[in-house]
Amino acid sequence: MAENPTLPDPRPGLIRPTRVRRDSRRGVLTFEAQRRAARRQAIYEAVSGASGAALAFFMWGHMLLVGSILTGSRGFDWVASGLEHIYVAQPTVVIISVLFFVHAALASRKIPSQLRERRRMRDLARSLARPLDAPPGAASRATPHLESSLWIWQVRTGMVVLVFGAAHLLLIGIDLFTPMFGERVGIEAASSSERVAEGLVIPYAILLLAVEFHASVGLYRLAVKWGVGSRLSRRTLLAIERVILFGFLGFGAITLVVLAGWVDPPLAFLTEGL
Amino acid sequence: MSTKPSQEEGRTLRFEIFRYDPTRPEVEPHLDAFELVEQPYMTLYLALNRIREEHDPSLQFDFACRSAVCGSCGMMINGRPGLACSTLTANLPDVIRLHPLPAFELVGDLSVDTGKWFREMAERTESWIHERAPFDPEAIEERMDDDLAQAIYEGERCIECGCCVAGCGVANVNPRFVGPAGLNRIARFALDPRDARSDTDWFEVLASDDGVFGCLGLMACDDVCPKDLPLREQYAYLRRRTMGAARAPLLQVEGVANAQG
Repeated sequence: MAENPTLPDPRPGLIRPTRVRRDSRRGVLTFEAQRRAARRQAIYEAVSGASGAALAFFMWGHMLLVGSILTGSRGFDWVASGLEHIYVAQPTVVIISVLFFVHAALASRKIPSQLRERRRMRDLARSLARPLDAPPGAASRATPHLESSLWIWQVRTGMVVLVFGAAHLLLIGIDLFTPMFGERVGIEAASSSERVAEGLVIPYAILLLAVEFHASVGLYRLAVKWGVGSRLSRRTLLAIERVILFGFLGFGAITLVVLAGWVDPPLAFLTEGL
Repeated sequence: MSTKPSQEEGRTLRFEIFRYDPTRPEVEPHLDAFELVEQPYMTLYLALNRIREEHDPSLQFDFACRSAVCGSCGMMINGRPGLACSTLTANLPDVIRLHPLPAFELVGDLSVDTGKWFREMAERTESWIHERAPFDPEAIEERMDDDLAQAIYEGERCIECGCCVAGCGVANVNPRFVGPAGLNRIARFALDPRDARSDTDWFEVLASDDGVFGCLGLMACDDVCPKDLPLREQYAYLRRRTMGAARAPLLQVEGVANAQG
């Protein structure tokens, strides 16, 4: 550009995007600094989405493994000790814990920092959703713009998962690596059931709701953002999201009541012969 | 209330219209109410003109084409962005509340300066074909695939009404966000084979929270766009291309940058 003699255009005749950009926070940014910043942002975006997707898929596998309690404590212990014996469980807890905090740090970039900004987004969601033929003011609180409110709830459930999920990871870490719970080092059905029955059932129910909502909406959002299933309408994608959400919520709820000992394991006959 | 336009005369409509003149800051922003008898096939554009003629000549609002092409008459209609000229009062309740589009500079009452916003966006995204060589009027035009031409045209159909920007949560809180219309514009030029800009040329405009990564995927833009532009596809396309550009080795990019110095 003419006003910047130190950075002449390398390809004459080609106009390129602004070579030197003024940035309100960091003053004048050179071409290279802009590229570096942009590349960092791209990495953040990719890691944020990929870690979220990885955690969501992990939760599906996790649900199936914990679901082994439906076959009774024998089945659960067989799965748990098996995964510990071949050293799959231990590194998984460490990797998931790292992913968990990396995802929290990167995904929270998108939450507006000012309360006033968050209010603005909430109010806009409410105002947008109102069908044109509804009287102004009346129905606005009842039906906010679906996807805007899904995002707001994703932020809220993310906060819940951060607190309750961190506590759960800590608990499982202690159970897995120390003899503090149960008779041996590692996860056992008896001590897990006892923990849940003696009070953890409420926090786990909250965590289950928050995780399943956060994960299914997160996967839907990734699909919309990156064009996965772009031949499907958003309505169809949302319907798929619903099926995933309620499917895993239902399975999780059954697992939780069985773990709490409120209901006998329905699939116990499968492990009778073992 | 039926959404089917009833064309019977007689309904008395109550318009509650936002009033504020930035040149007269002593008058607080407020809503003024006007009543009109509904006419067959009455649009908000017709209603506003009647209010200006019969009730208050000082009412400010924009219009030009009356047929959803010029993009001047975007406003918040009962809380939702839309075009006044293509909105039938028959599809609205008895009380119609009108506000100017947020996220734009207010000119007065319902009139906002979308032109300034779009001008800035066009300069920022350099919304013109960047050619390698000077234009040769004698040369035969290069052929273009029909599907590609159609895809470019889809982005080009934007009428710059600003409804998407007004409906965008991010654009409402981050004025530096390039906005739905801006992303659509970038996608249009990124698609165009006549444009000599490569992915890495777009990279620093796109790869930031002010660019395509700022988009949260709330898709309100997609829901309110009066021209039904394929915005969702445009953003996904840009995201994927941006990731492609990010994979280009930084050293090579630096090589270009260093060669300049």
